[in-house]
Amino acid sequence: MATRTEAIAPNWKEGSVTSWLTTVDHKRIGVLYLVTSFIFFGAAGVMATLMRIQLSHANSGFLTKAAYNEVVTMHGTAMVFLFVVPVLAGFGNYLVPLMIGARDMAFPRLNAASYWLFLLGGLVLLSSFLADQGGAQCGWTSYTPCSSEEFSPGHGQDLWILGIHLTGVSSIMGAINFIVTIHNMRAPGMTWMRIPLFTWAIEAYAVLLVLVLPTIAAAATLLLLDRQAGTTFFAPEDGGPILWQHMFWFFGHPEVYIMVLPAMGILSEVIPVFSRKPIFGYKAVAFSTIGIAFASMLVWAHHMFTVGMPSYLQAFFAATSLAVAVPTSVKIFNWLATLWRGHLIFRAPLMFALGFIGLFTVGGLTGIMLAVFPFDYQAHDSYFVVAHMHYVLFGGTVFGVFAGVYYWFPKITGRMYHERLAQIHFWLLFLGFNLAFLPQHLLGLMGMQRRIYTYTQGGIFEWYNVISSIGALLMGVAMLVFLWNAVVSWRTGRRVGPDPWGADTLEWYASSPPAPNNFDRVPYVTSARPLRDLRLRLQERET
Amino acid sequence: MLRKLVAAVSIAVLSAFAAGSAFAARGGIGPPGPDTPSGEAISRLYWVVLGLCAVVFVLVETALILFIIRFRRRRDTPESAEGPQIHGNTRLEIIWTAIPALLLAALAIFTFTQIPAVQAQGIEDEQHLTIRVEAHQFYWEYRYPGGEVTVNTLYLPVDEPVELELTGMDVIHSWWVPALTGKMDAIPGRINSLRFVPETTGDFEGKCAELCGIQHAFMPTTVSVLGQDDEYESTLASQQETLALGKATWEGACATCHGLSGEGDIGPSIAGNGTLSNEDGLKTLLENGQNTSQFDYYMPPVGRGWPPEQLDALMAYIKSNETLSTAPPTTTGGGG
Repeated sequence: MATRTEAIAPNWKEGSVTSWLTTVDHKRIGVLYLVTSFIFFGAAGVMATLMRIQLSHANSGFLTKAAYNEVVTMHGTAMVFLFVVPVLAGFGNYLVPLMIGARDMAFPRLNAASYWLFLLGGLVLLSSFLADQGGAQCGWTSYTPCSSEEFSPGHGQDLWILGIHLTGVSSIMGAINFIVTIHNMRAPGMTWMRIPLFTWAIEAYAVLLVLVLPTIAAAATLLLLDRQAGTTFFAPEDGGPILWQHMFWFFGHPEVYIMVLPAMGILSEVIPVFSRKPIFGYKAVAFSTIGIAFASMLVWAHHMFTVGMPSYLQAFFAATSLAVAVPTSVKIFNWLATLWRGHLIFRAPLMFALGFIGLFTVGGLTGIMLAVFPFDYQAHDSYFVVAHMHYVLFGGTVFGVFAGVYYWFPKITGRMYHERLAQIHFWLLFLGFNLAFLPQHLLGLMGMQRRIYTYTQGGIFEWYNVISSIGALLMGVAMLVFLWNAVVSWRTGRRVGPDPWGADTLEWYASSPPAPNNFDRVPYVTSARPLRDLRLRLQERET
Repeated sequence: MLRKLVAAVSIAVLSAFAAGSAFAARGGIGPPGPDTPSGEAISRLYWVVLGLCAVVFVLVETALILFIIRFRRRRDTPESAEGPQIHGNTRLEIIWTAIPALLLAALAIFTFTQIPAVQAQGIEDEQHLTIRVEAHQFYWEYRYPGGEVTVNTLYLPVDEPVELELTGMDVIHSWWVPALTGKMDAIPGRINSLRFVPETTGDFEGKCAELCGIQHAFMPTTVSVLGQDDEYESTLASQQETLALGKATWEGACATCHGLSGEGDIGPSIAGNGTLSNEDGLKTLLENGQNTSQFDYYMPPVGRGWPPEQLDALMAYIKSNETLSTAPPTTTGGGG
């Protein structure tokens, strides 16, 4: 295998539209994933901005009630299914083969099919807005009977279901591809304890996707049958509403870790490189990834503490939810220990990674509070949960994604991003994020429930909402700075060599951007930091 | 320079939040209440877990900030210079795995000890005043043991243990009166029990916490805790008079979407509509709801499960109210 050097793909004209439409190159598919998911990120972000404008003052009429519910539903669904999961798939696609010294994914055509299904699914999902009687309006959780034919007439909900199906199939196919690739195509000498930690995270991400996505696919199918074929899987008389919630959250909670683990993997790559140290406790970080993935399958009903479960079940799910905090805190301590005595280089990737640690810690701790279920009786379905979840998924995952975007930008484009703009992006986003979401904890404690299109209270209640909306706008500005930086730098940024950061892993061994065949030859891997080994050997030879 | 500025602004904002919270009503950074023993137990747990999390928060963030300051690359260190190549320390890692595990186990055990208080256990079942709560799009119907019915306002005698039996009549709702106790979902096809003992008289505001449709934001409820002599009985009785029940039903079940005087809002204008005085037609409509392409939004089955006297009361109220029973000269509909 490693001696073949010709490209797998047919030799289409470089850069032409057809070459992108027909590509089976994992790097191009990775770029397609990244760019498409960022476009969906923009769309879902605009929806968030609309919501924050609507909520910026009491009794606002900026959006209609129905429009608000549609936007609430689509913001959540699009962020999860069209941005976070696929953007991580994009990183995985681009990086995993390079990191393990392979020439492509195991199934390049399946890989292309995953991407095109994802794009189709995204368009179908968004077309829900155009449906007669409006788009889906029951939140990203689409609880029955709200989402039943009787209470959500029209095809908006059906399009939501089809969108979930298509993106789900796409993710399952992609996940199988990742698993097969990681298990079979590693460079000579790359044992499981020498795999880059990001690849470990993608392994856990893929295994979780294969385990839990079929559940939501089944649930969505049954809901579609209930709506269109008159079946009664989720009929209230048979406990249907609770069945939906179990099926949804059996998928939905592991989904949170599907969205967080690869971002943590990005941190485990970035922090050592920008501290000029190895990761502290490679094994602990790798095993905590597996530990989190395993425990995440046992906690789903902590989203259901108020449905009237017996106390012993609530106690069980509280205990498992608290247990997830153990491997998570191990990761945070190991990252901190990696920083300890390092020579920290404050470039955008490290700043976003440290932003992740600072903000995710808040989300993790409020998660512990919510696992204490009597408190959840008060906080559930309130803005406290909204704040918690955004500290995990935005303060955590999205900051991690930006760390990754800046870290691998020179690899993907062959050019360096603009450092000062990236730092402005970081500080605007950090400030805007905290302004937007910190007060939401307090709003939740004051009794503001989720998913309301307006409120009547004035005073400090309204002020917190004003601050939150200002924060949201600031986040929007930060995103524009990022967009500008990305577009301009991609076209005119300073050209860089294969390894601008002095990194540790094999993707930096390939040229920037890598050739279609990735590597002409791959070094024999003797540690988890093959590139550093190579650098040291070269230095020895010179002296 | 820029960094320092941003840092200063962040710190100022954070302190402003802290100060704002301290001045906020009800303590600001605590959950609402507590006006019942259950609420008190929840608050107790909240402060314990908040305290624990605050300590961890301060430790982690302090370490992070100290490391950022202490270990940043100095100007005289070249970018390629490596730090000490420390690959780990098994003993340290075992310690920082074990300590969170022990702390969390202790927290779990403390949580479990509070369950009886939170759920108001330890009172005999038959001692409870049992009230059925039927949640509709978009109002709350309360059914009392003596057959009484109230809409959106729940009347309770002070100091008497109460058990709410909650169910949803259409979609899932969630009954949340923060000052009294935590929320409980009202789910179709299922009866959930929520127990608490109201210890202070007064009105407590509540809401629906689970997204239930277009008027989810406006599904308020009031719990009116009344003095013990016979204030409770007399108030409840006065609410059963035909016109009082009819008015409450109109305001709860109809006016949310059709406007207080039937002028129309998200639902069409219905003032003076013939169906309002046609008993059979109205009954069918209220029990089954309606979905026609003529209107943007469906009419939910708001009258599902009503006792017969409630429909009579509603019709009597409409008849007694001139604006509702006669068509207004000109209406434009889409007000509100």
